[in-house]
Amino acid sequence: MAAGATISVKGLAHAFRSGSGSVSALDGVDLEVPAGGYASLMGSSGAGKSTLLAILGGLEPPQRGSVVVGDTDLSRLRGDGLARYRRSTVGFVFQHFGLIGTLSALENVELATILTRLPRPARRARTLALLHAVGLGQRTTHKPGELSGGERQRVAIARALANEPRLILADEPTGNLDEASARGVIELLEQLHAERGCTVLVVTHNRAIAGRASQQIALSRGRILAATCHQSGEGRRSG
Amino acid sequence: MSPKDAFALAVKEVIRRLGRSVLTLLAVALAACLLTALVLISRTAETEVLRQLAKGGPLASIKVAAAAPDPSQLANDNARPGSPRDLGPQAARAIGRLPDVASVVPVITSRMIFVPSAGAPGAGRPEPSYFFDTAVGADLRDPSLLPISVLAGRLPAPGSLTEVAVTPGYLERLRLDPAEPEKVLGAELEMGPPRVFDELEEQTFRALWQRTEIVGVVAQEAAPGGIVTSIEHTRRAQRWSAASDGDTGELELSNSPYTGLVVVADGLDRIGKVRRQITDIGYSTSAPENLIASVQRYLNVVEIVLTAIGSIALVIACLGIANALLAAVRERRREIGVLKAIGARDRDILFVFLIEASLLGALGGVLGSLGGWAAASAVGIVVNSYLTAQGLLGLHLGPSWGVLLLGVLGSTLLASVAGAVPALKAARLPAREAVSES
Repeated sequence: MAAGATISVKGLAHAFRSGSGSVSALDGVDLEVPAGGYASLMGSSGAGKSTLLAILGGLEPPQRGSVVVGDTDLSRLRGDGLARYRRSTVGFVFQHFGLIGTLSALENVELATILTRLPRPARRARTLALLHAVGLGQRTTHKPGELSGGERQRVAIARALANEPRLILADEPTGNLDEASARGVIELLEQLHAERGCTVLVVTHNRAIAGRASQQIALSRGRILAATCHQSGEGRRSG
Repeated sequence: MSPKDAFALAVKEVIRRLGRSVLTLLAVALAACLLTALVLISRTAETEVLRQLAKGGPLASIKVAAAAPDPSQLANDNARPGSPRDLGPQAARAIGRLPDVASVVPVITSRMIFVPSAGAPGAGRPEPSYFFDTAVGADLRDPSLLPISVLAGRLPAPGSLTEVAVTPGYLERLRLDPAEPEKVLGAELEMGPPRVFDELEEQTFRALWQRTEIVGVVAQEAAPGGIVTSIEHTRRAQRWSAASDGDTGELELSNSPYTGLVVVADGLDRIGKVRRQITDIGYSTSAPENLIASVQRYLNVVEIVLTAIGSIALVIACLGIANALLAAVRERRREIGVLKAIGARDRDILFVFLIEASLLGALGGVLGSLGGWAAASAVGIVVNSYLTAQGLLGLHLGPSWGVLLLGVLGSTLLASVAGAVPALKAARLPAREAVSES
């Protein structure tokens, strides 16, 4: 497993076109997450969490400012370059799970490795190992419709880990789960983070979940409102 | 993503939306069925009409008469022959050496007396019980070079003096049903060329009688005459009659070794040139080139119209594919976003959607083409029974692999083109759709 990637964001600004004008989603965001760090990102709706996540995950290029993940300067990437970055560096966990209904748990996880053109025996072995690691070794042939919410999110986590990413981005991973399932998913994420050493950034509305992260970041109206590190106990305000 | 993986994903998506996929596939299949059936029917119609015109022989055949030519009649399919002129092996060889001539088959006709044997179908019906007709003798070793087609039974064996084939005209003469030509097969027919004898200031006929068996019923255009036999048979008859005494006007005797030649040109477009060259050698010719060209033109128009109707149906069906895929793109925005989020490139997404479209087109094309062939075959059976009831050549509708392949490839290609817009739309969806609210 590759080591976690450092996240370094400087002066990030991003806006969306809306009707005749534009709406600012991020406005001068500065952020540092150390390699192998575990950070949570909180904020109200419209604060810019999803936009920041999308930019860090290479779903869209930054409009202004510098975003460097590991050795990759995302502002220099477009199209296939971003796809390659997503494939090799990032693992996504979505609130809506993002599983393909026609594929089994095994196939959903394997899909991520297919895109890397890993040889079939190797990808099958890796996929099965991951499903065992998330506790779904006995449910490999089940389709998403046959799994509970918590199990689906475990499949999604296994898929996020399929290409051994250096950065895991989880967008409200417990948003659609009951309390017990949510706790199980978060504990799994923490366990995998500890075992694999990848950097994890969790977007959440849940203060308790956010509080478990070693670094907590609060966003408001496109700006970093507060960033707190547990270990050092120091916090700083920005914007 | 490898093509194999993209294909597997596309197949799963087709199965996932089975109801919509089946309806889309059926639309393509019906359109491909219509197109294939129409093209097959129009192609068969063209082939069969031309076959009827050529009486089953080669389309590019030219009849050469033992007569001088009338150059002003060259553009006429049925040129009026000039004065009689001997046509023998030497002239046949000269014509055979002409460029663009594929084959030359000599024909000898002979006026004969025919007597259907007692007990044979139709025997005794004509009054009196014998009749004069012309026997057409040809080299029957390669019947495909002659404008002769077998309606029932077979052709006489080459060189045979005891086998003959009759034409529908013979059946009519004996008031037999032309729809049941097989009834005369195996019947005996006595035939003999007459020779005129001047005996005691009186002319009498004596025939060189030969008992023959009717082995086939044919349609033929080699020369005017109701009976077809081997050239050896008519040559023997010709020699017998030629030794007549006195006035032989009634026997229509000719001194020419051959009554005519059937010349086959290298193609329909070479007929005019070959006819001119034969005219230069000094013989009258006729060929249905103008008639065939006109008929071909009309049939081509019909084929174009029918193909256009089928193609329009196929285009409409493929628009159905485009519509279904556009709906799928709308429904799968987030899924496409997720695929991109886990590393799929735009072209991976494009490929999956194009494969989906092609798959529907190909499956619809296969089903439709087979259905079209079945439909055309059913039409063929109905038409065939009508034609044979009319005493005409039967229809032959074999599987036209070219048309079937065209139906499948055409459907696949059109479906791919129709799927291009939704596929491009899907490929261009932003990866951010993965984290969209909807």
